[in-house]
Amino acid sequence: MQTSTTATRGTRDSRRHTPKADMSGVYQRAIRESFVKLDPRIVVRNPVMFIVWVGTIVTLLVTIDPNLFGTVSADAGNQRLLNGLITLILFLTVLFANFAEAVAEGRGKAQADSLRSTRSDTVARKLLPNGSIQEVSSTELRRGDQVQVVAGDMIPADGEVVRGIASVDESAITGESAPVLKQPGTDISSSVTGGTRILSDELIINVTSDPGQGFIDRMIALVEGAERTKTPNEIALTVLLTVLTLVFLIVVATVSPLANYVEAPTTIAILISLLVALIPTTIGGLLSAIGIAGMDRVAQFNVIATSGRAVEACGDVNTLVLDKTGTITLGNRLADEFIPVNGHSVEELAQVALAASVFDETPEGKSIVQLAEREYQAKVGFDRSTAEGVEFSARTRMSGTDLPNGREIRKGAVDAVKGFVRSRGGKIPAEIDEAYARVSRLGGTPLAVCQDGEMYGVIYLKDIVKAGLRERFDQLRRMGVKTIMLTGDNAITASVIAQEAGVDDFIAEATPEDKIDVIRREQNEGKLVAMTGDGTNDAPALAQANVGVAMNSGTQAAKEAANMVDLDSDPTKLIDLVAIGKQLLITRGALTTFSIANDIAKYFAIIPTIFAAAGIGALNIMGLKSPQSAIISALIYNALIIPALIPLALKGVQFRPLTANQLLRRNILIYGVGGVIAPFIAIKLIDLIIPFS
Amino acid sequence: MKNYSSRTEAIESTIAIWSQFRRQKLPLRLFLALCLNLLIAPAVFATTESGLSRSQSYWIGALGLVTVALAIYLFFVMFAPEKF
Amino acid sequence: MLQGWIQIGLTLLILVAITPLFGGYMARVYQEEKTFFDRILNPLDRLLYSAIGVQPKENMTGWQYARAAISSNIVMALLIFFLIMNQGWLPLNPTRVPAPTWDTALHTTISFITNTNQQHYSGETYLSYGSQMLGLGYHMFTSAATGLAVGIAFIRGLTGKPLGNFYVDLIRSITRILLPISIVGAIALLAAGVPETLAGVVVVPTLEDPAVSQAIARGPVAHYEFIKELGENGGGFFAINSAHPFENPNGFTNLVQLVAILSVPSSLIYTYGVFANNIKQALLVYLIPLSILVGFVILTAIAEYNGNPAVNALLNVDQAPNLEGKEVRFGWAQSALYAVITTASMCGAINSLHDSFMPNGGFATLSNMFLQIVFGGQGTGTAYLFAYLLLAVFVTGLMVGRTPEFLGRKIEKREVVLASFLILLVHPIAILIPGAITMAFPDQLSGISNPGFHGLSQVMYEYASAAANNGSGFEGLGDSQPSPIAIAGGAETSTTALWWNLSTCFSLLAGRYIPIVSLLLLADGLSRKQPVPETVGTLRTDTGLFTGVTAGVILILGALTFFPILALGPIAEAFLISRGIG
Repeated sequence: MQTSTTATRGTRDSRRHTPKADMSGVYQRAIRESFVKLDPRIVVRNPVMFIVWVGTIVTLLVTIDPNLFGTVSADAGNQRLLNGLITLILFLTVLFANFAEAVAEGRGKAQADSLRSTRSDTVARKLLPNGSIQEVSSTELRRGDQVQVVAGDMIPADGEVVRGIASVDESAITGESAPVLKQPGTDISSSVTGGTRILSDELIINVTSDPGQGFIDRMIALVEGAERTKTPNEIALTVLLTVLTLVFLIVVATVSPLANYVEAPTTIAILISLLVALIPTTIGGLLSAIGIAGMDRVAQFNVIATSGRAVEACGDVNTLVLDKTGTITLGNRLADEFIPVNGHSVEELAQVALAASVFDETPEGKSIVQLAEREYQAKVGFDRSTAEGVEFSARTRMSGTDLPNGREIRKGAVDAVKGFVRSRGGKIPAEIDEAYARVSRLGGTPLAVCQDGEMYGVIYLKDIVKAGLRERFDQLRRMGVKTIMLTGDNAITASVIAQEAGVDDFIAEATPEDKIDVIRREQNEGKLVAMTGDGTNDAPALAQANVGVAMNSGTQAAKEAANMVDLDSDPTKLIDLVAIGKQLLITRGALTTFSIANDIAKYFAIIPTIFAAAGIGALNIMGLKSPQSAIISALIYNALIIPALIPLALKGVQFRPLTANQLLRRNILIYGVGGVIAPFIAIKLIDLIIPFS
Repeated sequence: MKNYSSRTEAIESTIAIWSQFRRQKLPLRLFLALCLNLLIAPAVFATTESGLSRSQSYWIGALGLVTVALAIYLFFVMFAPEKF
Repeated sequence: MLQGWIQIGLTLLILVAITPLFGGYMARVYQEEKTFFDRILNPLDRLLYSAIGVQPKENMTGWQYARAAISSNIVMALLIFFLIMNQGWLPLNPTRVPAPTWDTALHTTISFITNTNQQHYSGETYLSYGSQMLGLGYHMFTSAATGLAVGIAFIRGLTGKPLGNFYVDLIRSITRILLPISIVGAIALLAAGVPETLAGVVVVPTLEDPAVSQAIARGPVAHYEFIKELGENGGGFFAINSAHPFENPNGFTNLVQLVAILSVPSSLIYTYGVFANNIKQALLVYLIPLSILVGFVILTAIAEYNGNPAVNALLNVDQAPNLEGKEVRFGWAQSALYAVITTASMCGAINSLHDSFMPNGGFATLSNMFLQIVFGGQGTGTAYLFAYLLLAVFVTGLMVGRTPEFLGRKIEKREVVLASFLILLVHPIAILIPGAITMAFPDQLSGISNPGFHGLSQVMYEYASAAANNGSGFEGLGDSQPSPIAIAGGAETSTTALWWNLSTCFSLLAGRYIPIVSLLLLADGLSRKQPVPETVGTLRTDTGLFTGVTAGVILILGALTFFPILALGPIAEAFLISRGIG
């Protein structure tokens, strides 16, 4: 049974933003970056903005010479002013889009920098094959090298403890100040992370990653966005935006001969303005910022995702596979009740149970001692120094105490204790099975207690379901996410816990193979599965799951197999990750809808005014002052909406655990209908404000 | 002799420029586009009877080529978005 | 006035009423369930399959299906082109018409294989009976069946079934749907007075002056007429199409034609409902084209009823229906209804001259062809509608926080590429680019009869009609070569006609085959996807809310693209007339 200390670590929110990133100077740097990103080789990666960028150059040309593409009727000075303004606004549009991306990256960088500060080059003591020690720089360590670290050292690289036992301060990456005990062999606490500090004793560590490939390096690269590749959904959206851009390019390019034919000619600068107003610049400018901010939000939750794809997949998860122990229940089962049999009183049972547990250092053992002493005032009636503790073993499935007077007291699995009693010539009372059944029905673990051949009764060990989980599972159910609990308990116990925690399904008496089977079964039905795990035997299941979250306290194998690692080792975080993934997709969809819905107003602002010569002025339902003012107002709106929506893009649209239909109704109302109406109002206001006739 | 060397120089530099050209895709494309425009511009000039100057038709031809290039670029992005 | 609205209302009611019956029947046909005709037709089917070497149970992939559709279309195109170019010596040519110019023949061929039937010729004087019956009449079945087959394959793929076999679908479309209904329909038209004869032109003395004789064209019209409507073909036997008294003699035939025109594309939505086992969604989706159709009919009919204010002022009345270019036996109501329905459904038959409609009519007919989903073409209209639905799912589906999915199938890059390419890109390219070229050189290329806004509408209408595979004409363009007889008599061929024939060929082909290939690939990809089970977190697409969202997406993505054209064409013209200058 693994123990987890998460419950004692305080609420998740209090641990957010750890390690705290230094956000000062992000905006200054972002402004500088937005100019650097004007490099055409960078802009060309964003098709929507590249069109604006090329448009800016063309309008610049007609600002210099308004008659470049044909003699314009209006006087050249006026034309030059208009073209100059258009050029300026288009330039700002590109700049704002760059700024959005730069801010998102800057926040990631700030996060990375605070991580990097832990990453200073350290001197490592490398163990050579002949046993001698050589001092090398940590950057020269390779996978498979062995190093020695002593108290006060920085651990030079990720690795597995092979020898020694020591406490390690992992606050640099987890923000958790309590030191963690590291020792070899155990699944959980044998892996160490580069950049953390050893506080006591010494460890021999087998290095498991090459320089630059370590955990923190990967995290830095990811939050900085250096390794950012487009996620599948981002790619699909890029296609749609590109097609829309191409469609409007064709529309605008072909409208010129039509306008000339009906004797309502326009200028090139105005056509470019129309093009820029129609193509989806809002979402085009914010798309990459949304993606980067999504990764950043995951990082702020102290989770490292190996790819944006994994974060996106979180939103699509249909099924969560959760271990009961440590995730749904606190790791420890606690004694809740004594059920005496054979005519013994509760006090007698408490007395024997106490005697059986005095040497038991497990939380269960301690809870038995506590219950016996507190509730029944039981006392240890023998000399501890002469008594001998019997350790629990997987073979006997019992533990207990051999008293100085030769009596053997045992507690353990009911079957095992029954066998023990029989072997000592005792009888098994029928009540014991009733007690066993009762405890099981309650979802508890029954422990039988005996003294030699005499059965005393059953201890009810209760599984404690973590507080607040029921509500979260309810939320998940409302989002359409199914939860499956895996437990080694028998079916009766499992069903009680499942009901208490509010999970949808459970697998009792589960083996690690069952875990992978249940994931496969769900995947065969077309579902996306997320799970958490920490042990080496979880690695195949973590790899099989669509979203596998390994605990940082887990083994290296588990972390390699997973596509996310939770630095706080809090399995319930999976639920937050689902919300983050959904929020990412919703933000993208909302801004896309908003951007496209804006086109109606822009059409009605620009088309009637620029083709006023065709006598369609009555379509100018906003009553804009003049063609010039209409163009400039629409473009100003178009440019300003990008910085105005940066906070939304970075923070994400607020996610509520509603059903799909409720979410659609709500978001369509805000971003769809709002997207139709908002620009009408905004463009009219800008038109009123600007002194352009 | 001098004559000969200047001729080899010319050939060599031509080869050098050409090999540079083949490596530098963008300038080559721009150059070809400008050459193409030499054909398009007179056509534009010829077809519009209203007073377009020669330079204006040249610029309009160039703008048309830019538009076509952008359309091709967008088509490319549409079919291979992951490359961007 | 009331009479007119009752005519319109009843016609639409009949259409809606037959939808579930006909749609259900088509679903039975394509799901290979028992139908009424099986006993007679099954042996015939088997004979045909073995004759062309098709394994009827063999499903095709998207590519195979598209290849089969295109290659069979190419063979048919070669046949018809050969027929037309050699009609001079081929039989069934009582009027002795020589071959038309090559560009007319090419345009006619492409226009008929694409189920468009855009006619840059007059049937009576350009084509022999043989060309009309064997060439065009035969194509009216096969091109319609091709569209239906593609539509059904798309529905199959969308609902997660294998695409089926093109040849089987083609044959079943003809033998179970088009042919039986055409036989009944043709007999009904025959009974109502449409001629069906192989005899040549009748020469009769005129009533006014018996010394003057008049040649009256006739021919095997009735059978040709019905498949023209049922198959969304629209290519008339005579130049003036269903306005001709031999094609459409009275109110009854007009009603039969209207119902025939819209029956297949509207019923196919119901067929989708049967395939998807979700009639509710089919009915909701059905409301989108139906409400657009009703809106456009009202818009058009009101303007025709009120007439042209400029003309009314001359007549000194407040209101007089606009009857220019209309047959008095149909009046404003049935003409307006016919115009909207024929452009909505990509049929393209006309019973009045769209050129003479008030600008509202131009707006409605143009918008119909820009949208292509107001029931739309044979098979393809329904497919486009659902492709729009896919796009709507993609854009708005993200807002529920999942990768968008339709019927449990994820919409990813491939789907977006194909659907957006299909819906958003091909149509503007096929209409706007040739349109802009024509408008840039109006004198050299277009031969427009009305300058100004109306001329712009004329040109864009022609390309929209070609790209949407509609085939109706706004007319008034110099798009016809002189008749073969005139050319034989020494008439000069026209360059504007050459330009129109060739440039519309581009729109016809782009508007037909790119979508067919895209639709089939889209369906193929979707049918291969592992369906994701539906949960409360899944966006439901069979709700009123989502149907409304789809309508919004159609409006913004589909219609706004063409807003500048509508603004500079019919809308500008409407304002012009309302200012009293028209």
